[in-house]
Amino acid sequence: MDYNLKIGLASIVLVLGFSQANADTEALKVCTAEDEMPYSNQKGEGFENALALLLGKALNRPVEWVFWSDPRYYIRDFLEKDLCDVVMGVDAGDPRVLTSVPYYRSGYVFISKQKDHLDVQDWASAALQKVQKIAFVPGTPAETMLRSIGRYNDLFNYSQQLVGYKSKRNQYVKYDNAKLVGEVAQGNAGLAVLWGPAAGRYVKASDTPLVMTLINDNNVRSDGEKVGFHYSTSMGVNKNNKALLQQVNKFITEQQNNIDQVLQAEGMPLIPESAAALVLNKK
Amino acid sequence: MQILQFARHRRVGVLMVGVLVALSAPVQANKDLEKLSRQNTNWVMQTKDYNASHFSEMYDINVNNVKDLKVAWSFSTGVLNGHEGGPLVVDGIMYVHTPYPNNIFAIDLNEPGKILWEYKPKQNPAARAVACCDVVNRGLAYAPAGNGYPATIFQNQLDGHIVAINAKTGELLWKMENSDIAVGSTLTIAPFVAKDLVIVGSSGAELGVRGYATAYSVKDGKQVWRVYATGPDEDIKLSKDFNKANPHYGQFGLGLKTWEGDAWKIGGGTNWGWYAFDPDLDMLYYGSGNPAPWNETMRPGDNKWTMTIWGRDINSGEAKFGYQKTPHDEWDYAGVNYMGLSEQVVDGKKTKLLTHPDRNGLVYTLNREDGTLVNAFKIDDTVNWVKKVDLKTGLPVRDPEYSTHMDHEAKGICPSAMGYHNQGIESYDPNKQLFFMGINHICMDWEPFMLPYRAGQFFVGATLNMYPGPKGTLGQVKAMNAVTGEFAWEKQEKFAVWGGTTATAGDLVFYGTLDGYIKALNSQTGEELWKFKLPSGVIGHPITYKHEGKQYVAIYYGVGGWPGVGLVFDLKDPTAGLGAVGAFKELAHYTQQGGGVMVFSL
Repeated sequence: MDYNLKIGLASIVLVLGFSQANADTEALKVCTAEDEMPYSNQKGEGFENALALLLGKALNRPVEWVFWSDPRYYIRDFLEKDLCDVVMGVDAGDPRVLTSVPYYRSGYVFISKQKDHLDVQDWASAALQKVQKIAFVPGTPAETMLRSIGRYNDLFNYSQQLVGYKSKRNQYVKYDNAKLVGEVAQGNAGLAVLWGPAAGRYVKASDTPLVMTLINDNNVRSDGEKVGFHYSTSMGVNKNNKALLQQVNKFITEQQNNIDQVLQAEGMPLIPESAAALVLNKK
Repeated sequence: MQILQFARHRRVGVLMVGVLVALSAPVQANKDLEKLSRQNTNWVMQTKDYNASHFSEMYDINVNNVKDLKVAWSFSTGVLNGHEGGPLVVDGIMYVHTPYPNNIFAIDLNEPGKILWEYKPKQNPAARAVACCDVVNRGLAYAPAGNGYPATIFQNQLDGHIVAINAKTGELLWKMENSDIAVGSTLTIAPFVAKDLVIVGSSGAELGVRGYATAYSVKDGKQVWRVYATGPDEDIKLSKDFNKANPHYGQFGLGLKTWEGDAWKIGGGTNWGWYAFDPDLDMLYYGSGNPAPWNETMRPGDNKWTMTIWGRDINSGEAKFGYQKTPHDEWDYAGVNYMGLSEQVVDGKKTKLLTHPDRNGLVYTLNREDGTLVNAFKIDDTVNWVKKVDLKTGLPVRDPEYSTHMDHEAKGICPSAMGYHNQGIESYDPNKQLFFMGINHICMDWEPFMLPYRAGQFFVGATLNMYPGPKGTLGQVKAMNAVTGEFAWEKQEKFAVWGGTTATAGDLVFYGTLDGYIKALNSQTGEELWKFKLPSGVIGHPITYKHEGKQYVAIYYGVGGWPGVGLVFDLKDPTAGLGAVGAFKELAHYTQQGGGVMVFSL
């Protein structure tokens, strides 16, 4: 426990977003990944970096980046310890934090080469049995459905290969979204299943034309339990910080158009929030 | 499977054979090898002999004069990673091997300052990244000249190949691909020669490799049999009377039935430890390792036949018995360790026995003709995941407190995932009827996690913290009677005795420590009689041989392997190296990397 914290702290790098910041204005400390693209990196190249700067501007506070390297523990070791004020991307309703109104909803996608003309519409598609390799991130709903259609075991080894056979014991093993999309572009994998927002910019930038198909949100496990493929994303603040939550909600509501511009530039599929969800979030 | 042809070398090999056949017309290789293994002058296999006795009848060096042991000569291998195993000595030549890049040096004992020949293979460097715990290699095997082949050195290479090399010239005779690093399978095990076969295991269980052992023809590398640890009975190769004497161990169909769906295909059960062989019974003994994936919740069932002691027919590979020690492993107690054969009196009857100190902290002794359990006891009373083994059912009686289920944080599990006994080769003194065990004394906390990330993604796994056991040290050496379960003596070691022990009729036990001492103890009392600080820590085993009428003791130095992974890769995070860095954090204050062999005499 202690060890993890120490390592976490050692990796914090502070960068002032607004060098000419007013000394009276308290910086908005944003916890974000030092290298989890396309969300965020230390160079500020991720779309969550861009959104954080929009938020800081709206609150008239300079952004101070607090970088974490291990997504397993960043809520516990950073936000809950008040090392930062806000995190940019959590599932709406994540019980560990106070979540804002969702600022986008998206889904998982099938990615294939355009010229392969794989007619893959859903998890029952024949193409899923035909392609030799499918790139996916373990622990995502994709794993659950690959198990359900009997493809998990034969892909196990490939999924280890994608991370250079790094053991998941005692360490965070990152599945690189750009690499997984590249697997399809290079023909190593016939298909990839990824969270759309994680894949969008790499699909868009690929020299080999790729197709991205949004997966429907009507999947169930073998035992009948629903396996969600669409998720709403919120910003998150510490549970004791309701005041900031209100400000964040205000920002999202007032600047949804600016936010959408950033998201659309990513090339991610965006799904309208259901009316029910919106009502729920206004409470 | 891919056969790599080396036409030019093959021709050279055949030519050599012609010469040798004309000279000596050798008989079956295993008989010659067995004979060589009984000669005190030689040390022709990693296990010393087919019994894996690691015992030499020499007593030139003994309890009275061992204090005068001095360095006779030394040789640096030029490689800094962990040096497991030991050198071989055959008829005046010492064969020294290294971890990756897996070089071999032949040294003339008449002129030990000179290298007779060297072999430096070209390997796929990607293999380094696939290996879990440093790039170790557990040593070479030797086959005397036989029908159609010259005296041969066998080497397993990290990138999955086995090669046969002319023992006199260092020329490559043949090369076979045994494991494919593209699927995460490497080779660290030492090959083992029995009859006209060379047996090779596999590594990479955690990465979903379905474990197997393979027999190749010594002569040309042709595959003779391959047996798996999981799957259909015909793949595992069960004989018709499999476990007939002990049907409660389980018999047929279990390689499929004890797995969910087709999870046996990625079920692990590799074998990267040691073999033993009984030439009278024509039976080969070894252990299969841990099941995969590592997270136990993902593989409900007993996961047979991982974690199993095998007794197989050497000619066909067929299993006569299989005893699963840790059904549904939760701790990574890979059961690939030392198999020591002895003949001792059980219930008034001289019995052929097999003794196996398992990573799980239990010592199992079986009747090696039919697999019947004779005894199973804790190697140390601090073992706590298990209360005892029910000798009637063969099942461990577990303590749920030390289970590693997802909903349970377990503190103070002994042994740790490294086991109380890892890859060391132990020794057996038949006169004293004592096994000498270099063991670990490392425990662990196991903190499982299932943490949400985003978009429904979870991280599932566990964090392991390892630390010295209740006695405060990381290692012990113990003298043990396997039949009675009684310990004659024990000695604490600050650091683990990772490489195992070698015993002699001079009433001595030799071993190396992780911090770099070679030590000699009185094998009757455990009293330390001599020690010498080597240039680097030890994870291999000592050997002893005779040359020009003089007894020598030799040992590799070169810290590394799993316990030394922090030194090798300069890791600081205590949980790195699967938790080894924390356990051995003190080691860096005592030794640093090195690599070579050091030879002692009076």
